[in-house]
Parts: sequence; structure tokens; C-alpha cells
Amino acid sequence: MFDMLKTLCAKDGCSGDESAVAAHIISLLPDDCISYSDGLGNLIVSKKGIATPKNKVLLAAHMDEVGFIVTYITEDGYLRFSPVGGVNASVVIGRQLHFKNGTVGVIGTRAMHQMDKEEREKPVEFDELLIDIGASSREEAEQKVRPGDCAYFECGYTELGDGMIKAKAIDDRMGCAILLLLLKKRLPYDLTCVFTVQEEIGARGAKTAAYSIKPDYSIVVETTTACDFSGVSDEKRVCSLGGGVVVSYMDKGAIYPKELYSAAMAKAKELGLKAQTKTMIAGGNDSQSISVSAGGIPTLALSVPCRYLHSPSCMINKNDALALASLTAAMFCELCEK
Amino acid sequence: MLTTKEFFYIIYTDIPNTGIITTEGIFVDIKKVAAQLCSADGVSGDESSASAAALSLLSRYTDDCGIDKFYNVFGKIGNFSDNKPVLLLDAHIDRVGLIVSYIDDEGFIKASPCGIDERILSAQTVTVHGAKKIKGVISTFPPHVKKEGMKDIIIDTGYSKAQLDGAVSLGDRITVDAPVSQLTDDIITASALDDRAGVISILYALELLSGRKLKYDIAVTFSSQEETGEAGAKIAAYNSGADLALEMDVSFAYTPDAKRFQCGEMGKGVMKGVAPSLDRKMSDTLINIAKEKQIPYQLEVMNGRTGTNADSISVTKGGIPSCTLSIPLKYMHTPTEAVDIRDIEATARLIAEFAAE
Repeated sequence: MFDMLKTLCAKDGCSGDESAVAAHIISLLPDDCISYSDGLGNLIVSKKGIATPKNKVLLAAHMDEVGFIVTYITEDGYLRFSPVGGVNASVVIGRQLHFKNGTVGVIGTRAMHQMDKEEREKPVEFDELLIDIGASSREEAEQKVRPGDCAYFECGYTELGDGMIKAKAIDDRMGCAILLLLLKKRLPYDLTCVFTVQEEIGARGAKTAAYSIKPDYSIVVETTTACDFSGVSDEKRVCSLGGGVVVSYMDKGAIYPKELYSAAMAKAKELGLKAQTKTMIAGGNDSQSISVSAGGIPTLALSVPCRYLHSPSCMINKNDALALASLTAAMFCELCEK
Repeated sequence: MLTTKEFFYIIYTDIPNTGIITTEGIFVDIKKVAAQLCSADGVSGDESSASAAALSLLSRYTDDCGIDKFYNVFGKIGNFSDNKPVLLLDAHIDRVGLIVSYIDDEGFIKASPCGIDERILSAQTVTVHGAKKIKGVISTFPPHVKKEGMKDIIIDTGYSKAQLDGAVSLGDRITVDAPVSQLTDDIITASALDDRAGVISILYALELLSGRKLKYDIAVTFSSQEETGEAGAKIAAYNSGADLALEMDVSFAYTPDAKRFQCGEMGKGVMKGVAPSLDRKMSDTLINIAKEKQIPYQLEVMNGRTGTNADSISVTKGGIPSCTLSIPLKYMHTPTEAVDIRDIEATARLIAEFAAE
């Protein structure tokens, strides 16, 4: 599973530009899967199981990652750009970004030595930043990059510490890898998975996918914000790495059915899997779209806790990811039979 | 004779234990170059590995070289016997980074900056250079959560305090990981180009001087602890016996948010320093040579001291007339410093023409 995660994170696909990720997922699908892409670019995959389930259950993970889009090229060859999805400018300055054609750019400002104390301590904003691809004129820059092109963080997939992984785009290639893992197995029931597009700009792909598929239940397999680092008080840590699967009762986008939340917590306990919930109402995911689609679809969100979300260094604990894969499989079966 | 570009890549690949990659191989795989550069850390006060790398390069030009107790690299070129004046060529070998100042009960490392631009730290990948080399990420709040007032620099290695015991100690240095990349054929981005670019300009000048008759005996120093107060240069310049000195450091290259008059321009040649603290006569000589030999140069006028080792070197012993030759660099003290190789070449040519008979 982590081998797949590594290759998935290495693909570049911010919202609206997910084709390379979709193509890679298709290449990883076993032969007994049927897949198609819908009008928005969602990849919908189904696989026959041993039995037809009582309920049709949809598993969803999003393919897109946060990235950047070039909005303007200045006369002297620098690129103005905006984030695609929520990114703090502080994780962009002082880094290399690359384009799909291999062009490399760096992000910076004038030297700190030329700023006063107040300026040096002020958080940077996107409108102060430019991408420098070494071009000395607009004409030279346009030979490599056009407005509308997307730029990406370096992947930087690294195993570190005691069973941790850090990379860009773990949000939500981790979910994609778990869905792929299930699709590779012999399944007790028919399974439908959707690899969605445009989650980071308002869970847009999930809207059309849920409408077309019309499942009875859905499980969103995600990453979620963990702030369990030094200097953050317990209640503001949201959730913890190593604490197991995060089962949500509510986030900024959805309120989850109590019975599904309780069932997932009970199932985790039954299987001896670590599980936790969030100590803050924060974040959102494809659930906000799926749960209100096609007359209403009861939805469960299961996530791996992730530090430094939407940065080039998303960080997760492998044990949490393995627990998430197990609980996803178990809840899929339970909802099929429910 | 090598071209500057070939020379540049050889310098960046010639880190101890990895050997020299042929220029052919280097042009194919810049990523290899990147990995090797990262192995030379050398944050101020902990320069041993960077100094060793620089010494192995300097030893191509002289056997009379070594590293002193303060990690300064020194070397002598010429016979130092026929009363020629001694010209000191200095660049600093240390780089900016961080230092471990505390490890909390959960194993998070608190760090203090050594010269680095703190605005770029959030979510960077770092290497802690302790008894073991350990990877970490600098903690930051995601956009999903309202920030609590976090002032400290926290490094998350994914290890507990017990697991870090014996691997990381207070005082260990930390570098921010960054690949070496090419933006164009001539523009390179990397961390530590401040002042490894200056080191390269001196080595390339020695390459250009091979076989030429020298006007001076040459003392070379790649000095330590510049970023934290020029301590290395104070020691190295004293020991060098120099009669005059050239300091090769980097200086500000223009970016659109900067003031034109505070910057040089990348690709427009060596920035020849003019300042009250620098020697006027040397200054004029250097300008005349640049004009005569058609070496691209631009003037960098400062109104007092220079913020380089020249400030310390010039007041060493009874006074050493000094001048700065700076390489324009963008994004100083960040992991994405950028220089134009043609400016390094211009710097090296000016050094060589000044030192040659």
C-alpha cells in the first residue's frame, strides 16, 4: 500500500488538472475492475464481489491536491500565481515549484537584510510572491509557461522517525491508495469506488459522482488535520498521529449520522483497531457533497490524521493508515449488510 | 582549460567520498549533483564537512594547505620567499541554518536560527546533524485551523524523546533540505550558494592562473563563522600574513520587490565594491583591469562597512587594504538562493587578472 502511496504522491494533479493521477490509478487497477470517467473527470470503478449486497455502498477518495495556478506573466519574466485550494503563503516562500513540463521555479522576495524588523516578522501573502523561472523577459517566460498552467511542490516522499511518512499530496492520495488496495482484493460484495476531482475547491467532483452512482451509503476515505505538535494545547490538537483512525461526528462541511459514527467506533473496538475523533470542528471533505446528493446519502468519514496538511510536508503515521484501511473494509461490509 | 560551466559542476560534484563525475555524466543528471551538495552541511561553527570538501578542491592547486582549529581552510600558492606582497583571497565556507536549543518531553526539537530567513521555515524538510543524521519537518498550522500564537521554531522528527537520546544533542546544527536545480542554462538554484559561490570563484581563479606568472604570493582562506560575526576571518587573516586582500562574497541581486539602487543585477557581471571601509587604490586598479580586459562588472557602492569578511580582514594586524568582489545572488539566506554562473566566471577572471603579472 505504501509503495502505491509513494507513486501516487509523485503524480502532479491539482484541482482541475487531475488527469495524470487518474491515468496512474487506471494503470494500477486489476483486470477484473470496470472503470469509466464522467464529464468532470471523476474516475468511477466497480468490481464484482462474491455476493450482491443488500445496500449499494460507495467508497470515495479525492485525486486532486492543492497546488498553484499561473495568473499573469510580468514584463520582466516573473510569474504571478494563486493557490488552488487552501494554502498558506508561508509554506510556499523559499521553495522550488515545478511544472509538468519540467520547468523549475523558485519563490522568494528581496533579501531579509533589506527589510526592517516588522517586515521580517510579518507573515507573507501571496500577492507579495512571484515565481522566478530564470526568464529575463515575458517572451522568454512564455516559451516555458502560460497563464493557466499549474505548479507543484516537490514530492519529497520520505520515511522518517518511528513509522512516519512525509510527502506532498498525501491528502488524499492516501485515500486513493486504500481504495486501490481494496479493489485488488477478492471482495465479499460488489464494490463501487469513486476517485473524485476538485475536492479542494469545494468538493465539486463528488456532487456529480454521487448523483450518477446513487448509492445507499457512502464512506469518504480521507486525511484530516492533526495539530498535535509542541506548543498546542490538548483541545486544539484536533487529533493525534498514532491515535488511530479518525471517525468524524461533524466538520465544517457535514454532520454525520450518529448511528454511523457509533457503528464505526464500535467496529474499531470490536476489531482492536485504534480510533479517535476530532476535538475541534475543523476541515471538510467530499461528505459535504455526497451526503446531500440524490435525495440524501448517509455518509461516514474515516480519515488518517495528518500533520501539516496542504503543505509540501504532509506527515502521517503508517499504523494509522493501516488501521484506516482495515476499518474501511470492515465498515464497507457492515453497510452492505445493514 | 575547462569552461566555467564544466568547472562549476565539477566543484559541486567533487564532495569527498563520491569522487569526480565526468562532465558528461553531470550534464545528464543534475539531481546527482544535488544529492552531493546536501552532504556538505557546514552551518556556522560546525563547518568540518564543508571545509573538508573545500580543502580537497583547493589541494588541486597547492600542497601547502590545510584546515585550522576553527575549521578555516587555508592554502598558499607561490614560493613566499622572494618578498612578493601576499594577496589574500577569502570567501566564507559556513552557511546559514539552525541550531538545536531544546528537546521537549514529546520529542519535539526547539531550534534557533543561525542567520536563516525565518519567513521560509514553515513545513520545510530539514536534516538534524547530530550523532546521527535525522530528517524532520518544521511544524506549522494548516490553513484549516486558526493559528495559536506560535513563535518557536519546532522540528518534528517523528521520534519520541527517548528515541532521540544519543542521536540528537543540544547544539547540533540543522540544515534545510533543498535540491540543486537549474532554472536556465546559466542560472542555478541551491542552498548555501552564500558563500559557496564565492569559494567557487576563487577556485576557478586559481584554475585560470595555472601556468601564469603571479604578481603576488597568494594566500587562500575559506573562513568559518562569517554569518555569526566573521570570527573565522579574524583568525584566518591574521595567520595568512596578507598585505592586501580580496573578499569574494555574494550580494543582493535585483528582484521586482526590491529597490533598484540597493541591488546589483544578475547576469550583469561581478559587483565591484566601493565603500569608505575599502581601499580606494585597489578599487581603482580593479575597475581599470575590468575595463581593459572587458570583464563585465557593476559597482556596488556602500556608505560604510560592507557586511562581509572584508570588514574584519581590513582591520587585522596593522591594517590590510581590502576590496570586495561580490556575486549577485537572489533570495539570500533561503534554500532557494540563485546565481548566474556567468557572474561567477566574471569574478574569477577579475581575480585572476588582478593577481597575474
